[in-house]
Amino acid sequence: MKKILCMLIALAMVLALCACGQSAAPAAEEKKTFIMGIDPEYPPFSYLGDDGNYSGFDVEICQAVCDSLGWELKIFGVNWDEKLVQLDAKECDCVWSGMTILDSMKEAGYVISAPYYDNTQVLVVKSDSGFTSSADLAGKIVAVQLGTSGEALLNGDLADLASSFSSVLTCDSFLKCFTELEGGAVDAVFVDLPVAASYVAGKDNLAIIDENLGAEQYGIAFRSSDAELCAQVEAAVAELVANGTYAEIASKPEYAEIVNNLIFLGD
Amino acid sequence: MSLLTMILKMSEGLGKTCAIFFLTLLFSLPLGMVVALLRMSRSKIISSIMRFFITVLRGTPLMLQLLAVTYGPYYLFGATVARNKLIPVVIAFAINYAAYFAEIYRGGIESIPVGQYEAAEVLGYSKFQTFMRIILPQVIKRILPSVTNEVVTLVKDTSMAFTVSYQEMFTIGKQIANSQTSFMPFVVAGVFYYLFNAIVDYVMGRIEKRLDYYR
Repeated sequence: MKKILCMLIALAMVLALCACGQSAAPAAEEKKTFIMGIDPEYPPFSYLGDDGNYSGFDVEICQAVCDSLGWELKIFGVNWDEKLVQLDAKECDCVWSGMTILDSMKEAGYVISAPYYDNTQVLVVKSDSGFTSSADLAGKIVAVQLGTSGEALLNGDLADLASSFSSVLTCDSFLKCFTELEGGAVDAVFVDLPVAASYVAGKDNLAIIDENLGAEQYGIAFRSSDAELCAQVEAAVAELVANGTYAEIASKPEYAEIVNNLIFLGD
Repeated sequence: MSLLTMILKMSEGLGKTCAIFFLTLLFSLPLGMVVALLRMSRSKIISSIMRFFITVLRGTPLMLQLLAVTYGPYYLFGATVARNKLIPVVIAFAINYAAYFAEIYRGGIESIPVGQYEAAEVLGYSKFQTFMRIILPQVIKRILPSVTNEVVTLVKDTSMAFTVSYQEMFTIGKQIANSQTSFMPFVVAGVFYYLFNAIVDYVMGRIEKRLDYYR
């Protein structure tokens, strides 16, 4: 009897909690609603957070933009393959989710914001090594940091390049990658351009090979008729950058792996 | 990636895990005895040097020691970082485990009553003979459970070689976990370590049984 009672109470509590989730504030009529289209499975830019709400860098920035413009933010999880179709169908007002800017999007007439994230990867070598292109590194050992976009590229889009190396060494920090390079254990380090630039700056013994591998930039897509909306959002983001909110959000530990590639925070 | 490919990829690294394990035991077991004997030396200087050596190795994380052995020579003297990471990894592991084994040996040796040394002397045994024929066999029997403890820990500690980018089984597991955003490799790694230790347990149990005479 007691057990059943306990279970009923537990059930009641769970239901009560569910009710909490349901009670999302009804839209205020006079507020403009801005629907952000995201890929809910693209951490750390946009993902379903532990608390069941959408979270991520893009989501937080968009929330801040909406706060400053007085809009109400609604988030819509798009089907990534169909994102532009869904944008045209007005299911969302923009696609803002770590989206790679493709020339084909601009050709199709979509309004694309200024890029905010630079995913360019480069190879760093010793300056006296004589390597000048990725092809020179055939049969050599290349270090990459675990969990970076560089590692993902070598396992994916750049797998052919990776297989031309004699081996790829995975280190758990970029400092170790560079120590391996300077200590002569590897011949090159494959790393994000901003990280490479800041490490190589002021060091005569290292050089960046002038070849952008896996160069891509992220931007926000709007419908072709929404150039004004795009400008509004861009201006609001610029304001966030200027007043430091942008840097504050970017400095959160969960965004540590992307913070170096944010274009607006570059010097 | 299917579970089978995952397991196959990780077993490639298992060979390297085994290499750390066996080479470490090969070097640290005898080295530990040398350290233990020096630690018990009558010379105050030698015994305090060894005491210091042991406190440093037991008092700092193995991970730091791995980093120090691998990258220390480069940062201190500009020496080349070893391409074959097995060498610094085994050096660091062997030295570290020697310190632990030394203390286990010392405990074992000191647990033998003085009366046995006296009796051996009366019977005309030399010091070396006393140690090899009377003391050591008893010591080995006594310390075996403690040694098993360390050996089991060693199996799991091999995963620390990741910190110097040695591509052993756990390193590969982490890479797969990262690229596949899957937790499965860690489960596989757990099973691998468990099976490895089950074998260690069995072998050590057999040895203990073999040495269980007079009881």
